[in-house]
Amino acid sequence: MNHDDIVSGLMQELRRGTLILLVLNRLQKPMYGYNLVKELQNHSIPIEANTLYPLMRRLESQGLLKSEWETSESKPRKYYQITEDGLIVLKKATEQWKTFSQNVDKLLSEEENNNDK
Amino acid sequence: MTNDLIERYIYAATKRLLEKIRADVSEELRTIIDDMLTERCGNVTPSEKDIRVVLTELGTPQELYEQYNPDSDKCLIGSPYYSTYKYVLKIVLICASSGIALAAVISSLLSGFGNTDFLTVNSFIIFFRDLFVKLFETVPSVLVWAFAFVTILFAIFYHKNVKIDNTGNLDNLPPVPVKKEKISKVEPIVGIAFSIAFLSVFLICPQIFSFIVTETNTWIPIFDIDTIHSTWYIIVLFGVLGMTRETVKLIEGRRNKKVMITSIVTNALSAVITVIWLARDNILNRDCITGYFTESGSVIPAVLSNFQLLFMGVILFALAIDTIDVIVKTLKVSK
Repeated sequence: MNHDDIVSGLMQELRRGTLILLVLNRLQKPMYGYNLVKELQNHSIPIEANTLYPLMRRLESQGLLKSEWETSESKPRKYYQITEDGLIVLKKATEQWKTFSQNVDKLLSEEENNNDK
Repeated sequence: MTNDLIERYIYAATKRLLEKIRADVSEELRTIIDDMLTERCGNVTPSEKDIRVVLTELGTPQELYEQYNPDSDKCLIGSPYYSTYKYVLKIVLICASSGIALAAVISSLLSGFGNTDFLTVNSFIIFFRDLFVKLFETVPSVLVWAFAFVTILFAIFYHKNVKIDNTGNLDNLPPVPVKKEKISKVEPIVGIAFSIAFLSVFLICPQIFSFIVTETNTWIPIFDIDTIHSTWYIIVLFGVLGMTRETVKLIEGRRNKKVMITSIVTNALSAVITVIWLARDNILNRDCITGYFTESGSVIPAVLSNFQLLFMGVILFALAIDTIDVIVKTLKVSK
């Protein structure tokens, strides 16, 4: 059994859902894609550009983000920002995430404490 | 920056995307690549190697296409239809193989033992030779057709979101069937096999319905082969209606309103197309039969002179019996 492969698959699944939450959270101020990649990487959240760009486009088609091409700078960039609907979704999802992650943490710590005894 | 490799990469990644997003995605990819190159090389002009590293890091054009394509998470037949599709496909392939084998056996029996002396070595050789040739010729194509039919049907179900699962609402969960309610799997499977045998015999070798004139040892086909071939769509429709009725029985697995209504509707439609089909006066090989009996000076047997009517009567009677049987059995268990 390759444990690393299983862990990698599991982490990928865990990251998939939380990425949306993080992208919505960061885009409360307008940002272009590569800027967001760097921003997340600076917070130790690795994300590849080829995942993030299509994700933002999907969120835009769901009405959670809006985008605009900014052509006044030296090179044209597409800036994304959260919409009103996106804010509502972000608020609700963040609350649920906090409760869920606290409960998960509590359970995992209990298990660790039991193992230590 | 403009570079041939970058442009070819972007073109490969976006050429199959919807036209309305293609230009936008292309521009977006250009800015990502530019940003990545700037990060890698700073103010220095990127070399061909830098470009290759960045493009490799970004993924293959196919991977990018998969990410950008809004339909990429969809497939021909996905969950929750796939498991039912596999189940139905298995049954249909079994039915198709057995149906076609049955048709091949009937047809080979007639060619093996029909024109030659009964139970001779020669008749056995002809029988097995014909059987193998027919199985080899027809089974693969019938299996491909059956596979295509079921696959297309389920692909439509999947893409049109046709509801085939009632277990989402707990109140809709069907009660555990009592013994008398259950429809054995054998019944619909045999029904489907017979529908396929009917289809195959009529479409491939309608001449096997023939009678022998003992004096001259000649076989005269009962049906006009050309007319049978030209009305193939009616025969196919008849077969498909029969298969639909049996498939619903197979999926439901119990006598309920759905099975009853499907049976009534498919039987009624089958009756209508039977009447339309047999209302033509050229289905029967009338000229040949009349010619033969006139030439030989014998009287046309009554069964042949009214054969078309008789044939229609038999089919309508069978459909009526089946409909009554389904209604009675369903009403009995619903009490």
